[in-house]
Amino acid sequence: MWKGIVEWLEVRIGLKDFLREQFTEYRVPPDINIFYTLGIVAFFAYIIQAVTGFFLLLYYIPHSEHAFQSVQHIMTEVPYGWLIRLMHVVGSNLMVAVVFLHLISVFIMNSYKKPRELTWVVGGLLLLTTLTFCLSGYLLPWSQLSFWATTIVTNLPTAFPYLGDWLAYLLKGSEQVSGTTLNRFFALHVAFLPPILVTLFGLHLFLVRRIGISRPPFSKNYPPPSSWTQYRHEEYPEGIPFYPSFFIKEMYMVVLYMVIMFFVITFMPTLFLPEEASIPADPYTTPLHIKPEWYFLAPYQMLKLIPNKFLGISIQLVLLFIFLFWPFFDTSDERDIRKRPLLLTVFFLTIGVWIILTIWGKYS
Amino acid sequence: MKRILVLLVIFTVTGVASGGFKEKFIEEFVKKPWGAPPSQESVCISCHTSDLMKEEFKEIVRQWRQSWHAKNNISCHDCHGGDPKDEKMAMSEERGFVGVPSYTEVPEFCGKCHAGVLENYYKSGHGMALKNDGTGPNCVICHGSHQIQRATIDIINEKRCSQCHTYERAKIMKQALFSTEKKITDLYDAIERLKKKGIYTEELYKEVFRTEADFRLLFHEVNVSLIKESTDDFLKRLSKIEEKTARLFSELRFRQNFSAFIMLLLAGLGIVIFLISKRGP
Ligand code: HEM
Repeated sequence: MWKGIVEWLEVRIGLKDFLREQFTEYRVPPDINIFYTLGIVAFFAYIIQAVTGFFLLLYYIPHSEHAFQSVQHIMTEVPYGWLIRLMHVVGSNLMVAVVFLHLISVFIMNSYKKPRELTWVVGGLLLLTTLTFCLSGYLLPWSQLSFWATTIVTNLPTAFPYLGDWLAYLLKGSEQVSGTTLNRFFALHVAFLPPILVTLFGLHLFLVRRIGISRPPFSKNYPPPSSWTQYRHEEYPEGIPFYPSFFIKEMYMVVLYMVIMFFVITFMPTLFLPEEASIPADPYTTPLHIKPEWYFLAPYQMLKLIPNKFLGISIQLVLLFIFLFWPFFDTSDERDIRKRPLLLTVFFLTIGVWIILTIWGKYS
Repeated sequence: MKRILVLLVIFTVTGVASGGFKEKFIEEFVKKPWGAPPSQESVCISCHTSDLMKEEFKEIVRQWRQSWHAKNNISCHDCHGGDPKDEKMAMSEERGFVGVPSYTEVPEFCGKCHAGVLENYYKSGHGMALKNDGTGPNCVICHGSHQIQRATIDIINEKRCSQCHTYERAKIMKQALFSTEKKITDLYDAIERLKKKGIYTEELYKEVFRTEADFRLLFHEVNVSLIKESTDDFLKRLSKIEEKTARLFSELRFRQNFSAFIMLLLAGLGIVIFLISKRGP
């Protein structure tokens, strides 16, 4: 039966050839390291979000009068609804963490350099899309936490003259966060963003495959930087086969991701759901300790520290611009970060400041 | 590259230059806690905390801030009337200001909200004595006024009751209340713990609260046999709620075991894959 199906496909689409080309004969750099699996882990994290998200959608009601109750219904009445929701909630946070780690690792290995500038830019857009996913999803449970965190974040654009008020209004659909905002965020979360994400991801993966995976710059026999004047696919005849050698490492990391997810669900189920998450949204009572999610804390704290908000938000936009187009700012040919003290300093400074701001934001 | 940098500089400079233009925003953004709704402080409070006020009047606000009323957003005007938004008319009778009630007026004063309690109180020896010759204790004698706290069974104590009569009868009353009271406190504790574990408890809380309120209502008749008769009913109502909380706790234990089980399965799978990957192709 199985053989029959494979044969049937073989005749029509040349399945074996395709698999051989794409998996067993496709070779990745011989000195490839475990950090190269993070991209796939991120991809897998999305699949989990999509699948659990679909099941949540079966019971969730996107209306300000029913949203909170429908989520509580999922948590208490729907069989294993709690598991699906916790996987989605914990997953959304872990996913951001994995994308950050992937970003840090391609940064340290300087993989974004010519010819991979576009891969970086598309990756950056993927990160922004991810964060928008998180932002829009956060409001959907319509709890005190979601309502007030969204109030904070949707206030940010108003720091911008003229355009800001309009933008904030466009996001919210009303002066304050309201039922209309909920509907907009819901539409963003389940209809608008997914196709964008899929497209960007397809582009990202296409670029990675078309250009060829970069070689880690740390090994002794790493070739000296060469100038890249014409397209060529980076091949590794002496490399290791993608399947099964590297593939199994990827699967190992994917399972590790799942173990971490279930560790959190088992031992810290309320890590991302503080008390305010189980109180329905109430526009007339501001809770005392509402903070944005951990990945927004650093920019949030930075904005609070700069007395002129417009200046603050301008600086952030400039930083965002520099981040997105970083490969065009860092044009040196050298890819070994150990030989680039300035870049190393920039890296540690950025990470250090980010961590300090995050902690500061959390406890201020 | 150069062009990009020039653009960035222009962008930042114009940004800084026109930054002052958004005073309104800064006002809302920096000075207020983030996302706070526009709340207006009552003029009663702003005047009663100002230095124009005598110390004893300032004390009222301090006491109220600690009170159960304050925690539930019951403010000055809710009891004393008047207009908390208009400084000039704040204490005008036109706007319903009533000021301080006399000793015998107090039950009606509190009874504006606590109507059921008022009715039962007038049936009690306490209430009748107040009505007949103005000697019985009014609400404030037992509950205090501005610093009022959530009522508990400990309001009945020797020091307070023996101001007017011997403690014996009050003690019997307290004993009759004890089992119900304990169950109510335990339930509130359980609900608090469930809430900390991420369970939505508002409905449960309301159920306990309603039972508690009915119980308190009844108590104000200060009739031991009535309490004894109805204790069974109350205990039954509370036990039903208790069953619900117990079910929730055992559900939480099940969830933890279940996800721990999946975690171990996955960890096993991870180890197998790891071993295979070490063996090489
Ligand atoms: C948002 C989700 C993302 C997913 C699902 C994703 C996925 C992947 C995958 C599967 C690879 C190939 C294997 C690897 O090197 O890991 C890859 C490579 C790469 N990614 Fe991402 N990525 C994401 C975000 C980002 C971000 C935020 C950046 C940087 C701004 C980025 C930059 C790159 C670069 C430069 C490469 C090429 C690495 C090389 O060839 O060595 N990616 N990505």
